[in-house]
Amino acid sequence: MDGLVLKGVSKSFGGVRAVDPTNLEFAKGELTALLGPSGCGKTTLLRMIAGLEDPTRGNILLDGADITALPAHKRKFGMVFQSFALFPHYSVRENVAYSLTIGGMSKSDAYAKAETLLDTVQLGGFGDRRIGELSGGQRQRVAIARALAQEPDVFLLDEPMSALDAKLREEMQVELRLLQQRLGITTIVVTHDQREAMTMADQIVVMSNGRVEQIAKPQEVYHKPANAFVADFIGKANFFDGVFADGGVQIGTLQLQTQAPFRSGSAVKVAIRPERAEIDDRPGENRIDAKVMFVRDLGPLREYHLETAIGPIIVEYAVGETGPSLATGDTTTVRLPPDALQVFPRGEAA
Amino acid sequence: MTVAEDISADPAEPAHRRARVWPVRRMLLATLTTGIVILCVVPFLLVFAISFGRKIDGAAWVWDFTLENYQRFFVGILWPEEVTFLYLQQLGYSFYFAVIASLLAVATALPFTLLLTRLKRSAQAIWLVFIMSSLSLSEVFIVMGWDILLSNNSGLPKLFKETGLTQWLKDVGWFQQLRDWGLANPRNVKFKTSDFATILTMSYLVWPYAVILLYPALSRLDPSLNEAARTMGAGRWTVTRTVTLPSIRLPLFGTTLLLFVFLLGTYVSVTVFAAPNKHTTAVAIYANIRGANLNAPFGATQAIMLLLSASVCLYLGHLFNKRADAR
Repeated sequence: MDGLVLKGVSKSFGGVRAVDPTNLEFAKGELTALLGPSGCGKTTLLRMIAGLEDPTRGNILLDGADITALPAHKRKFGMVFQSFALFPHYSVRENVAYSLTIGGMSKSDAYAKAETLLDTVQLGGFGDRRIGELSGGQRQRVAIARALAQEPDVFLLDEPMSALDAKLREEMQVELRLLQQRLGITTIVVTHDQREAMTMADQIVVMSNGRVEQIAKPQEVYHKPANAFVADFIGKANFFDGVFADGGVQIGTLQLQTQAPFRSGSAVKVAIRPERAEIDDRPGENRIDAKVMFVRDLGPLREYHLETAIGPIIVEYAVGETGPSLATGDTTTVRLPPDALQVFPRGEAA
Repeated sequence: MTVAEDISADPAEPAHRRARVWPVRRMLLATLTTGIVILCVVPFLLVFAISFGRKIDGAAWVWDFTLENYQRFFVGILWPEEVTFLYLQQLGYSFYFAVIASLLAVATALPFTLLLTRLKRSAQAIWLVFIMSSLSLSEVFIVMGWDILLSNNSGLPKLFKETGLTQWLKDVGWFQQLRDWGLANPRNVKFKTSDFATILTMSYLVWPYAVILLYPALSRLDPSLNEAARTMGAGRWTVTRTVTLPSIRLPLFGTTLLLFVFLLGTYVSVTVFAAPNKHTTAVAIYANIRGANLNAPFGATQAIMLLLSASVCLYLGHLFNKRADAR
């Protein structure tokens, strides 16, 4: 296959397994997000792809060629580091032109290309500045321009937005995605921010404890999580423990109808997204009496925190959407539609 | 506004208390200033004053104001009839040995310290304790060790001869090259007296300082800078040349300068390992003040000239750094 392929790549540090044997395919021109909590092995995986760590086992292939043993400086992979790793002793222009000048290009040509790249990341005219004179967002753009200067086969970004404030981060996510689409470079972004991954990625690889939990498109990861960990890590969810019985899930004295096929007697975990639960006083299946404990207004969203016989449930409505108008202390009924219930075998971390 | 002013102007502090505290602070400041002046400035002024004194033949010296000592330092006492640059030459050797030894110490300490910073914390601590403890050894003790190691009868030259290395050097034709460099006599290799042994021992003396001075800067060096360079196509040497060395340029320069200034005053190594015609100003100063010459005014003049030369070097170094920063 064209593009980047990992075949059984794993990494151990001493006796500690950082990345379990992993098989992944990164299609040419697509942006893949490696998403997971801190310490899940996503950065180690990225560093192995970059050639900065040697895999303990497995192979890395680029367009069919095995590059596992190829040192980092021969891979032609551009990388943006979490700290941006800009050279403080060089100007912005010299930073961007670094890969070109050490590659043998004349200074005048390298600087001309650096200026073009700086224009691309909207930093035209910043070439003479020192790194210390730049803001966080500008530094990130310089790091991107510098990594792109060598026209990399694969573009790697390790938590590129973590040093930026929330507003700038959202702007840069869109900008970076547009730039990647324009250039059509195979890109891998490491992030622990699910919004960042959902905004930018064609494909999301969710990782936990050195293991790949799910590989799917953003909407699929959200709506069809592979397990309880993914359901919990991506977005918000209400969870209940129960036992599968008679085509539904028995939670205490309550029987919830679901569409999941499980063997009777299996211990299961049920999840439902807050926006899929409904406050509905009409009689019917999967309805539970509830008391409003707290109402949380988030501007575009309103959350009702309910107490029920099977545990706390959060129901979310978009403001302006037809929804109930309840206050703390009110009693009501919450409906958990069978098609919205996601059922996972119990025992998985959530 | 300074911190001191800020504190003293604390509006919350009652006026009568401020009035009581002020004299105490002033007295403390005056005592400290006096102490510094007495300990640092007065000895220097004394040396400066003595440098204008006059030697009495067959006796000690007397206070005076003569420029004869300075004339002697630059062109010799018999100028203009006869000119000698002996003392300038001694100053030149002071610089020659100090520059090469400090560069050698830094050049060898740099890769070692880089490797040290990549070790585990516990291993780093052990190495640093070991290196720091070696600082407690006196110059005399260290030079004695090297003296034995390089001695013609019992040290490395004997080892060379016994193991047949000397003969092998003769056979391959390199022995003559060593003789040309002054590192061999007709029979065997020899390190005493030689520039090589002098520089080696001087470097050894300051090597622990080099490691300790470079360690903070190198341990703070962001490893992602090197990694970033590698992902952009830079090999190991290119990374060192374009990223590591420029990143630590100031500490590297500062360390070299400090070691250089320290080595300008080296006495024992030069006395033991340098040829008499290559003795430095530090050795001459001792000979004049405590040694056979007993010419304290001229010794003081040499000390002042050594100090001024070192100051000029430090200033030039500062200018060089400023210019490099501006670039």
